[in-house]
Amino acid sequence: MNEPPKPAKKTQKAPLGIKRRHVLVGAGAAAGGLAVTRVLGLHHLGPELPTIALPGQATPTPKTKDWIAPLDKPEAQVAHLLRRATFGATTAEYDAAVSDGFKTTVDRLIETPAAEPPVMQAAEDASQEKPLPPVQLQAWWLDWMLRSPTPFAERMAFFWHGHFTSDFRKVNPQTPFIYWQNLTWRRMALSNLSDMLYKVTIDPGMLRYLDLGTSTGRSPNENYSRELMELFTMGVGTFTEDDVRAGAKALAGWREPVTQAMYDAAVKRAMEQGRPVPRNLQPDPGKTGVFEQQRAYVGPVTFLGDTRQWGTTSVLEKILKQDSVAPFIVTKVAREFVKGDPDLAYVKRLAETFRKTKYDVKTLMRDVFTSPEFLSPPSYRALVKSPTELMIHTTKALGLGQQPQLTRGLAVAGNGMGQALFDPPEVGGWPSNASWISSNNVLERVNFAQATLTALPTIPAFGKAYVTHLDGVVSPATAQLLNSSPDDATRWLILLASPEFQLK
Amino acid sequence: MKELGGVNGLTRRDFLRSGLVFGVGAQALSAGYAAVPDVFARAVLAAKEAKVQNDRILVMIQLGGGNDGLQTVIPIGDGAYRDLRPQLSAAAAKAQPISKDIALHENLRGIKKLYDAGKVAIVQGVGYPKPSFSHFDSIRVWETGDPERRQQNGWLGKAIEKNYDSAGHPLVGCACGTTNVPGALRDLQATLTVIDDQKTFSFQGGQNVENVMGTLYTGTPGIYGALFDSAMATVRDTVAQLRTSAAKYTPKGGYSDKVNLVYSSKNQLAAALQLAAELIVTGTGVKIIHVTLGGFDTHYTELNRHDALMSYLDSAVSAFHDDLTAYGMADRVLVATWSEFGRRPKENASGGTDHGTASPVIVIGDPVKGGLYGETPALAKLDQLGNLSFGVDFRAVYQEILSSHLGVDGKEILGQSFDRVPFVKAAAG
Repeated sequence: MNEPPKPAKKTQKAPLGIKRRHVLVGAGAAAGGLAVTRVLGLHHLGPELPTIALPGQATPTPKTKDWIAPLDKPEAQVAHLLRRATFGATTAEYDAAVSDGFKTTVDRLIETPAAEPPVMQAAEDASQEKPLPPVQLQAWWLDWMLRSPTPFAERMAFFWHGHFTSDFRKVNPQTPFIYWQNLTWRRMALSNLSDMLYKVTIDPGMLRYLDLGTSTGRSPNENYSRELMELFTMGVGTFTEDDVRAGAKALAGWREPVTQAMYDAAVKRAMEQGRPVPRNLQPDPGKTGVFEQQRAYVGPVTFLGDTRQWGTTSVLEKILKQDSVAPFIVTKVAREFVKGDPDLAYVKRLAETFRKTKYDVKTLMRDVFTSPEFLSPPSYRALVKSPTELMIHTTKALGLGQQPQLTRGLAVAGNGMGQALFDPPEVGGWPSNASWISSNNVLERVNFAQATLTALPTIPAFGKAYVTHLDGVVSPATAQLLNSSPDDATRWLILLASPEFQLK
Repeated sequence: MKELGGVNGLTRRDFLRSGLVFGVGAQALSAGYAAVPDVFARAVLAAKEAKVQNDRILVMIQLGGGNDGLQTVIPIGDGAYRDLRPQLSAAAAKAQPISKDIALHENLRGIKKLYDAGKVAIVQGVGYPKPSFSHFDSIRVWETGDPERRQQNGWLGKAIEKNYDSAGHPLVGCACGTTNVPGALRDLQATLTVIDDQKTFSFQGGQNVENVMGTLYTGTPGIYGALFDSAMATVRDTVAQLRTSAAKYTPKGGYSDKVNLVYSSKNQLAAALQLAAELIVTGTGVKIIHVTLGGFDTHYTELNRHDALMSYLDSAVSAFHDDLTAYGMADRVLVATWSEFGRRPKENASGGTDHGTASPVIVIGDPVKGGLYGETPALAKLDQLGNLSFGVDFRAVYQEILSSHLGVDGKEILGQSFDRVPFVKAAAG
């Protein structure tokens, strides 16, 4: 993991000129590698190879076969940050951040308030009459991920979308709810967990997705009560089945709002079918759930050890008093932004501050990015990009701007790689890290790079893309292929399809 | 170097040849608890002899979300059923009786026909002690075959690792119609293939790109390096296999995914089973297949949605069985369903049901000795949480599949032995 020793001899000139100075290869892999041409029967690559000087390690063991982390270098630190706190950077964004330095970039990312995406009227007006095609919503968000001036806020909205998850299938494209949820998650993304939980609980999309909107005190639905504790705050095994039942009673009483467009569509439908409009149906002015006391449970129940009359606020306050909450959220954050198996001591340290600051997310994220662990070698390339991160980084790397066709293509491609936005595979959200690496997904990722390049009218200059996007740290195989590529299109394919680029 | 373009003559022209066509596919449940290997032990397998010589094949169908067993195999003879389910019990009147007390859901028509032909076993009341009501926990229990939740590897993955030579034979264990490795198949020492859609399972840009990718994914460093390299090797083996098999197969069953959209069923079960049939019929060496039908988490308005799910399941499984029969392969293939839990006997205010415990496993195929197994769950004797008690440990079902159908050592995989639930006709050699 340390800086390898100086090369024994001068390196030779390669077509791309990737030299020892730029390329840090895995020590074990390098020493054992470079036999790829023989193994796979490639064409002879010419006498100019090898162009990468090998660190002088004699007998590598599998354990030493790791990336050589360049995180002691300021520009690599910044690139590492941008890959994780945003969706990867354009060359311009990279240059600006490198010039600002790591600390200033962290400040800027964290302190700049989230820019609002453009209003999507078709989503706002969604109804039985005019459902919103999901691909349109997906493209709308992908477009904003691409060009938002506040990519960290966007990244956090994406994180919470996987944590407080809902899907358009159940929430239904005949409502604006899933669109509203996206706006709400973005606005609350860096606030505190207490405010967030209230917003999540009464979010119309969530009311439908986890059935709190149809739960009543008389006949409670346990779905939201369980997942609120298991998936959103405390984690499995920290509560009892009685707590689930009590929580379901205590939280009951909410219903979904009805928009004017939904109301109008319902009236029209009723008239067409010669039915009376349901008497209790009225459009609601607000964009949150509506509490109806007559649907709530009256009477004391025992929830997490306390017996009393509960309301939504007191239930959430009680949950936030549980010791399990801070470590649970911190572990999830660390797995998403630092490494797949964060150390317990690290989680504990971050969790203490998180709880002390009343669950302030901004403080937590600053603590994460400025922690020594974030920039330590074991964190380097320790995370696998989700398909969305891969697609946005690809698009940014190629300098592709705003193109409606492109973002629709991304929406479809994400589906093939296992990530259709607003449609996670399960109530637990998205898979992570190793779970993204299946034969299907690896093939889809390669095909995505190929298809994107194929669709380009002109191939952008490759230049130092392997430094900007890969820190100049590549495997011997990648270096060899880049060195021997005939043109920039091939170089881009190698870079975008490489294992290095799948990691962050 | 100039004319050949360095690496296998890869040129700009190759990029231009294919259009912007992205693969579109379905998703399915995937567990999020993968362990990351330091080193992928693919080499270990290369040295291992395959233990199994028989031609038996297993297809597991996951009913994701928790299938309501009481709406699938309906206890029409139990008066408590109507009391607990004033709305949902409407399904009883239309159900298809298979005994005086039990009826199959009305939409399981094809499965009923197979039941009458003695090709369907229904194992009732399948569950495990101290059940979890969490989707993820309980999925993991079923996937790993470990109610203590200590195991990482899936039971099917382990079966492959310990019994089959999967190195170089990527289709021995295969998940069809999904993008990620399902937990039941996960085993870091076995080669596992995931095919979402075989029509798009090839390299855009053709052989040149494929060759370059083979090189690119070689000796990759880092904690995911071996996983990446192995996945790419599997892709290449699989692409080669599919190229041959696609030409040799035409479906002889009436597969159709054109049914009403079932809520949250992000699946193409019929397409996945058709792919499974292709892999079986064309002799790819496939042994264990996993497919998923989602959408069973019916907390609200269950009646219509569960009806649709039953119909979807029935038509896909029937087409699959017809197809294999027409190809003369049905005697080798056993299909079994699994679901993380059943649902609460008492319906809720949303016209649905909350998470429950035991539910039936349906086993289908020519190797099956048809009939009812296990006790019919007693609705009069619910536990203090209002749930059914289980009668058959799900691992006993696994054991019968492993030992009697696949002819492998069930105890080695499950860690212990269970009383036989003898739903397999004749043990495999």
